[in-house]
Amino acid sequence: MSSSSDEDESYKMYKDRPEWNDVKSVPQDDGPAPVVQIAYSEKFKDVFDYFRAVMAMNEKSERALELTGSAIELNPANYTVWHYRREVLKALKKDIAVEMKFLSQIIMEQQKNYQVWHHRRALVEWSQDFSEELDFTADIISRDQKNYHAWQHRQWVIQEFEQWDGELDFIDKLLEQDVRNNSAWNERYFVIEHTTGFTDEVVKREIEYAIKKINLATKNESAWSYLRGVLQDKGLTWSKSLCDQIHSWRGEGLRSPHLAAFLLDMFDEDLEKKKCDVNKTMDKVRSLCKELAEDTDTVRRKYWNFVLQRMTKEYEVK
Amino acid sequence: MDSSTSFERKKHIRFFSRILQILPHRYSILDTSRLTITFFALSGLDVLNALDHLSEKNKQEIIEWIYSLQVIPNEAESNTCKCGFRGSTCNGVTTPQYAKAMESTNEYDSSHIAMTYTGLASLLILSDDLQRVNKKACLEGIRALQLPDGSFKSTYDGSENDMRFIYCACCVSAILNDFSAIDTAQATSFIRKSLCYDGAFGQGPGLESHGGSTFCAFASLKLMKTLNSALSKQQLKWLEYWCVSRQKMGFHGRPHKDDDTCYSFWVGATLKLLGVFELIDFKENEEFVLSTQDNIVGGFAKWPQIHPDALHSYMGVCGLSLMGLHNLQPIDPALNVTQRVRTHMEELHAKWAAAETRKLQTTSMDRSRTKSSTIDRTHTGTVVLAFVIGLGAVVVPWIYKVYFRHAT
Repeated sequence: MSSSSDEDESYKMYKDRPEWNDVKSVPQDDGPAPVVQIAYSEKFKDVFDYFRAVMAMNEKSERALELTGSAIELNPANYTVWHYRREVLKALKKDIAVEMKFLSQIIMEQQKNYQVWHHRRALVEWSQDFSEELDFTADIISRDQKNYHAWQHRQWVIQEFEQWDGELDFIDKLLEQDVRNNSAWNERYFVIEHTTGFTDEVVKREIEYAIKKINLATKNESAWSYLRGVLQDKGLTWSKSLCDQIHSWRGEGLRSPHLAAFLLDMFDEDLEKKKCDVNKTMDKVRSLCKELAEDTDTVRRKYWNFVLQRMTKEYEVK
Repeated sequence: MDSSTSFERKKHIRFFSRILQILPHRYSILDTSRLTITFFALSGLDVLNALDHLSEKNKQEIIEWIYSLQVIPNEAESNTCKCGFRGSTCNGVTTPQYAKAMESTNEYDSSHIAMTYTGLASLLILSDDLQRVNKKACLEGIRALQLPDGSFKSTYDGSENDMRFIYCACCVSAILNDFSAIDTAQATSFIRKSLCYDGAFGQGPGLESHGGSTFCAFASLKLMKTLNSALSKQQLKWLEYWCVSRQKMGFHGRPHKDDDTCYSFWVGATLKLLGVFELIDFKENEEFVLSTQDNIVGGFAKWPQIHPDALHSYMGVCGLSLMGLHNLQPIDPALNVTQRVRTHMEELHAKWAAAETRKLQTTSMDRSRTKSSTIDRTHTGTVVLAFVIGLGAVVVPWIYKVYFRHAT
């Protein structure tokens, strides 16, 4: 990174800057036999020699702020530099909006760096200004739909500042673009859990929602997991219409392994609650496990054979 | 990728050995976490059963370097909340033996929880006895990082808080054989709240399930011994299903993401801890991991056809070791070190326990001497107790010595 400025001939080393000649730089003391050394560039050494000096003096000034910017450009993962920068920003009572602009640029280049996102959260906590956060995270998500940091930051903003309105629409749009976007499915669960909760009505609505999405892509694990999720407290066989749908999909010859696995879990639930004929149901279990192990999900064949063994042991009458 | 790709053991040994020496400038971003890179390289060599490629002098130098990164209490003990290990000397800090450039540490000098974990683990790998570790200070450093919700931040001055750092706290506590610095009930509660609707764990409550956070969560529950109270039988079944579902050929960390070498360890180790690792497809998994091997310089990459790196190289050999392949040393899935290292750690714990008992014995003997004029029944009891403890102090290390000599 920063190769462009490394090659920039107009760049002046800190040791050559007159405004720094009152400071004695502090070279890194890596001891007599360092391990995992890094072949630092001259520029890297120069910047961090001065950063060490500034930290030792605890100088909080405009030039120190500029220096942290140089250090961040060279190593945005150095959390101490970020912390020091926050200390300087506070001491100088800097305008957070300006800092946000600087940061947004860096995040665009460093979308998967923990420190930049932590800095962002710290600034928002500090200023209590979250006005740009939803747009900003939406922008990052549009570039990388599964960016964990962006989703995490977005969830924090929504929860902290109660910005729940409009989030389900945002998710809808993402799922229209890519119905397999697991991060968006997760967000849907998150929003409902914290707003309406999973009441009977909501669960029925969400089952319908998932069914529609499964019809678009029957092997989409995300939609199937969501269906299990919304039913985790009520039980997979709670909704008659879903049971009918599952059987009708099977009847149509749909061979999605997720459908078979779901049906298997429905049988497991029936068997556990003793709501069915054991022999007949176990016959169906055997045939489903065989289908999965030998035909539709062979990479997991040992697992499906194990599930069959476990269920046989648990339910079959000797 | 040709399925007959051979495992390039010698090249991997060279790859890890090279990392221990010097990295090119483009790795400057690892500046604050050099100790973790050290751990990947050392543990990688250990899994390859190749630590003897390092000379004794070199091993000793690495041990000294690691100890130089220990943040120790100052005279006023005002910095115990920052104790533990740093990742390198890049922030201008030096320890007594290296004190050349600066007299004292600056107020920004602080340990990092991942460095404390990988530093201690690295010392164990090098067969160090942790005698020079300030255990009390390390634990104080850990204690200072736990937040009210049970999670941990990584460093005292503030950072994000998530599952990774709970795992680091658990490893440090496991290595030091002392969980008193963790509020395990709160940590367990945080982990439970991070259980996602699809059966696996996210980095925190509400967040998407992820192979890495799932490993950290589950291994932490194992290390804290709170698993049974945390998850129901049904939840374990769903977790199993989620984990086996992560195999396409190798493993990936989230649904619909590409396979990535490191998840052969993160998800593989979780399955091992669940006791169902044998249910995956070994052949496919091996083939994928080997497809990310660099056949020229050694090491493993995240994906095929890209450059290898320290983390993926280490996780690659660990993923293969879980399957018992290529004569790799067996690893302990919860601590992510070889079983040899775990055994060494347990021997140390036994020694510490024996020393503790001896100390107790000496104290009660001293007390008995000062009160010798008032010998009564209680006192006789104390003497008998001290005798039994003393006997234990002699016998326990002896049993360990004999047992482990035979075991190894």
